[in-house]
Amino acid sequence: MLKDITFGQYYESGSVIHRIDARVKILLLILIIVFIFISSNLFSILFSALGIFTIILVSGVPFSLYAKNLKAILPILLITFVINLFYGEGEALISFWKLSITTGGLYRAFYMSLRIALLIFISSALTYTTTPNDLTYAIEKLLSPLKYVGLQNAVHTLAMMMTIVLRFIPILVEETQKIMNAQKARGADLENGSLMRRIKALIPILIPLLISSIRHAYELAEAMECRCYTGGEGRTRMKQMRLTKIDFYSSCFAVLGCLIVILLNIIF
Amino acid sequence: MSLLKVNNLSYAYSGATPFFNDALKDVSFNIEKGEIIGIIGHTGSGKSTLVQHLNGLLKPNSGEILLENENIWDNPKEIRKVRSKVGLVFQYPEYQLFEETVYKDIAFGPKNMGIADDEIDKCVRDICAIIGVKEEHFNKSPFDLSGGEKRRVAIAGVMAMKPEIIIFDEPTSGLDPKGREDIIEIIKNYREATGATVIIISHNMEDMAVIADKLLVLNKGKLEMFDTVEKIFSNRVKLNSIGLDVPIVTRVFDELIKRGVDVEKDIFTVEKAIESLKKVKAGDSNA
Repeated sequence: MLKDITFGQYYESGSVIHRIDARVKILLLILIIVFIFISSNLFSILFSALGIFTIILVSGVPFSLYAKNLKAILPILLITFVINLFYGEGEALISFWKLSITTGGLYRAFYMSLRIALLIFISSALTYTTTPNDLTYAIEKLLSPLKYVGLQNAVHTLAMMMTIVLRFIPILVEETQKIMNAQKARGADLENGSLMRRIKALIPILIPLLISSIRHAYELAEAMECRCYTGGEGRTRMKQMRLTKIDFYSSCFAVLGCLIVILLNIIF
Repeated sequence: MSLLKVNNLSYAYSGATPFFNDALKDVSFNIEKGEIIGIIGHTGSGKSTLVQHLNGLLKPNSGEILLENENIWDNPKEIRKVRSKVGLVFQYPEYQLFEETVYKDIAFGPKNMGIADDEIDKCVRDICAIIGVKEEHFNKSPFDLSGGEKRRVAIAGVMAMKPEIIIFDEPTSGLDPKGREDIIEIIKNYREATGATVIIISHNMEDMAVIADKLLVLNKGKLEMFDTVEKIFSNRVKLNSIGLDVPIVTRVFDELIKRGVDVEKDIFTVEKAIESLKKVKAGDSNA
């Protein structure tokens, strides 16, 4: 169960997608997500799928990693598919009781599930090709206009919190695994028993985990103070983000793709 | 009949990620009742992976583990019984404490085994007497104790289950010399009181020389050597080749011999070293 969490896992392959500026990547992600929703017929959604699979291919990240993320939301995907099957007009293919599966419903079910799958794929593409640090710095930069409305500290603090969260997820996952093993070695039974018993069985895991999170927080705060951290004001970065040709070309491709989606929407 | 028998054990941490890792390759050995076994090896050599197989926390990809001639995975539902027979104390065990009082925390293990309350009470008191957890601490919160005391309580939590085999993963890491001695003392006391078989993972060759009967050397997931402490430590060349070394005192004595001082060979503990030096001194004054 714990092994399936790949959130915030960066995969280095040195592809051109990796080299796109993180800020541009986030904006393009938003653009692509909007256009996945705008795609209103089979042709435009299939074209979107084609575009997204091209991105996946170019990213150089093994497809199995993308599939793993999809597996996590498989239940949602299935429910969407089944529910949409029964909503649709057109010729009834199979009918029973008051329900009937129509060609329209089948089309709609396929279309909706594809949409969700594409959303997952394209968001994973962002997290696989961008380091968590770049990602949060890019968010900080993109939100920086908020300083004109008196929120300059809030933006930096938020970005710092996100960095820390991303950094600590794998550590806490590992720690949870260790504590679970330690309690299992003391005979704790985590798999059997009634719901109530299973909830109770979590206490020996949650309390040590809570304590160690607080300990980590103290240690981190101290380490940050030792390095004279005082917040975002006046802070500079060793690696400045600069826009390059890659960013220009990738944006052009994305916009071109979106135009084609609009065209396909109008034609068909 | 061996108490614990490991046959051709292999294990790989799996998953569809590129971070694939062959942790153990074809490891076989026997452990007799009452022995103290030290496991040594470089970081990442598979020591922790190996001991987690011995109490059924990990299931081997191939090979088998026989406890008193029974394969521990013959009946997967009964694996918790194996865990009460083979106790495992993890590295930094104090991080697993969770109960309101020291007493309750130590009683957690025996309680999970499903034994009667008065029996549990006896287990807890017996073990605390053996390893020196004071009764006045029983109603304290484990989080109010000092670092060394916390570890002692955490170790008591595993010992209270009265395992026949008890495994320690780096029991002395992060402690000062006094704390290290205390933990070694606890382990010795437990063994004397119960006759249990003990397995210890450690990076500290000095500790190993003091406590272990036999050493099991792992290198990159393979069993490199399994022999008495004397035989292992006298094979310094091989140990060095896999990134390990003999105790410091042995290195000092090797150097003394090289420089022509007439001391005994194969000295592994400080105590023996002192004895040997005294003999040399006595010899000198006699001459």
